[in-house]
Amino acid sequence: MTASPRIIAIENVTKRYLTSSGPVEALHEVSLAVGEGEFCTLIGPSGCGKSTLLGMLGGLVPLDSGRVLVDGQPVTGPDPRRVATVFQDAGLFPWRTTLENVEFGLELQGVPAERRRGVATELLGPLGLRGFAGKYPRELSGGMKQRVAIGRALAIDTKILLMDEPFGALDEQTRLLMGEWLLDIWRRTKKTVIFVTHSLQEALLLSTRIAVMTARPGRIKSVLEVGMDYPRLMESGELVALRAKLWSEIREESLRAMGGRL
Amino acid sequence: MTVLVRLALLAAVLAVWEVAGRAANPLMAVPPSAVLPALRELLLLRSYPDLPASLLLTLREIALAYGLAVAAGLACGFALGMNRLVGRAYGPMLAALYAVPAVVWYPSLMLFFGLDAASKIAFGFLLGFFPVTLAVLAGIRQVNPQLVTVARAYGAGPVRVFASVMVPAMLFTLVGGLRTGLALSVIGVIVGEILGSKRGMGALINHAYGLLRTADYVALVLMTLVLIVGSDALASLVERRARKWSE
Amino acid sequence: MTLRVRALQLASILAALGAWEGAARAGWVDPLFVPAPTAVAIAFARIGGAALAALADTLGKTAVAYVLSVVLGVAAGLVVGSVRLLREVLNPFVIALYGIPKILVLPWIVLVLGFGAAPAIFYGTIHGLFPILVLVMGAVRDVDRTLVTVARSYGATTWQLYWKVLLPAIVPSVLAGMRLGLVFCLLGVLVVEMFAGVRGMGYVMSAFANGFQAPELFAATALVSAASIAIVLALDHLNEKLSHWRG
Repeated sequence: MTASPRIIAIENVTKRYLTSSGPVEALHEVSLAVGEGEFCTLIGPSGCGKSTLLGMLGGLVPLDSGRVLVDGQPVTGPDPRRVATVFQDAGLFPWRTTLENVEFGLELQGVPAERRRGVATELLGPLGLRGFAGKYPRELSGGMKQRVAIGRALAIDTKILLMDEPFGALDEQTRLLMGEWLLDIWRRTKKTVIFVTHSLQEALLLSTRIAVMTARPGRIKSVLEVGMDYPRLMESGELVALRAKLWSEIREESLRAMGGRL
Repeated sequence: MTVLVRLALLAAVLAVWEVAGRAANPLMAVPPSAVLPALRELLLLRSYPDLPASLLLTLREIALAYGLAVAAGLACGFALGMNRLVGRAYGPMLAALYAVPAVVWYPSLMLFFGLDAASKIAFGFLLGFFPVTLAVLAGIRQVNPQLVTVARAYGAGPVRVFASVMVPAMLFTLVGGLRTGLALSVIGVIVGEILGSKRGMGALINHAYGLLRTADYVALVLMTLVLIVGSDALASLVERRARKWSE
Repeated sequence: MTLRVRALQLASILAALGAWEGAARAGWVDPLFVPAPTAVAIAFARIGGAALAALADTLGKTAVAYVLSVVLGVAAGLVVGSVRLLREVLNPFVIALYGIPKILVLPWIVLVLGFGAAPAIFYGTIHGLFPILVLVMGAVRDVDRTLVTVARSYGATTWQLYWKVLLPAIVPSVLAGMRLGLVFCLLGVLVVEMFAGVRGMGYVMSAFANGFQAPELFAATALVSAASIAIVLALDHLNEKLSHWRG
């Protein structure tokens, strides 16, 4: 375990959804603790409840039983002063420019226009969007849109950043570059990141820890510590070994999620 | 659940109408309980013996207006849609006319055709004509030009291309336009009758209103509504058939 | 292409006017019913001042009805569209009220509200309200759910959700509804003026029709049509300016 104090504690969380074909258990007695400044990735087969778990941390999904503590406090609803979320679909407001989208969270909090403009403008540099302040989302590429969405989350300067497959819709090359960029941001801001992905490579390159989840109902199957320094090379022997280990853990669950065929 | 809430809402509206209708001046409003006897009198042909004749006249006006609107709308739409230049010149002009509330044409039609059926038919025609024409134009734009090219390459002549490529591809839009056209033709005829006529359902409604026979007025309105809703239901049936066929 | 389109449009209008003038002069059409364009122009000069005053009267009532339609339509559409139970219960009623011809209740409205501006404004409002309401309801229902989730996760209050997310998201539909609603409002006001007016363009046109004053009637019709087209074009222009983010 990491020595840093725990900032997130998920304790025995269970979640059922009511569907037309009866109740479905999405999460079963999930427990996980994350230390401050960690980059913790949740990985698992489709439908394992990763996004549900993230939604609970963000206060968007209520839980049936168990506890979720952020900074020692139970989560009761969205709390933009502690947690910011980035979604897979960038979710930019199409009628707002890049700058106005980045400002959104501060605007809701009633930060004066001049100050929030200053914060957003300063962020555009590290976001690589300096020339795009006045552009509308339809004028941006997929990677740029996702950087604006991340900028919007960074602008409210929370300790915790939740990322729900933020690069899932991007092509592989853009995805690799965005990963490198995100690592840089993370190391500079020292935020705690909870990251959901389907990509083994992405998980291995970015995370300090990887939590593998089982097929539905989702549980934490195992937690891998990745103690390597950054930047990491996919070709390094250590990572290749880790990849094989990670894949053997996930493969079984993915097979189960597909109904055991293949 | 929602159906129950809907029914409850409907019942509440009727109840409010009943209470308000009883309290109000009987010349201004009547409760539903007073409409039912009036409806019975109407259906037994006691209050308005010429109801069948009026209904028939209105139906005949609608049929003529709609028939003409469909024929002219199809002809006009295809004439404009087949030639790119002609279509681009007259399409926007048609659309601009669409931005004028149609009722401005009615006084001129009344002047020209008189107070009898002809002016109602003309107005119903005018209202029905536009959606049919615009649906043909929109339908033609939807036809994938590649399909036409392929058909041509396989040696299909213009008639063949029209019948086996164009019509099936645009049927969906076309049928929608035909349905809207019917609804508007019906409205045109009834608006015309209410704005001034001697016979037909609109004339009966005006008569009841003029003599302050409010219960009869409501009963006649309900009869006319049945006519309107019935014609649209028929059209929607045809529309569904056509959709099934084109899929 | 554009130049040829414009040329064809202009040539067609001139040719139509020329043919019309020629036909009227040659006595092929009865000038009592179809006066020559020159006669219409002369009539326009004669009635100009009075017609403009009547137009101002009509447009004044339309403006009041329009503001009411837009405010009520957008507000009700936002609330009904965003609350699922309300939406599911009320949707069929709204669609039905939108679809049925309001002309049937016109005699009753005049009976209750009398002659003058009140029935015109009321009738104009119920005409303009429904297209806006239907479009806004649909637009609110179809707002990208991710945007709502994003706003919630950033701690948006209910007020902020409506003001900063739902309202801007439906702007294109509101504008489309405003364009439709305007023509409907004007139509409603004109119909009331024709049916039971003592002032306004609808009344003036009916009076010309009943008095067989064809040149004056044609001039008045042209004036209302031109005003309507001009207002709609102005709205289109505004629409383009307000929706620059849509591209």
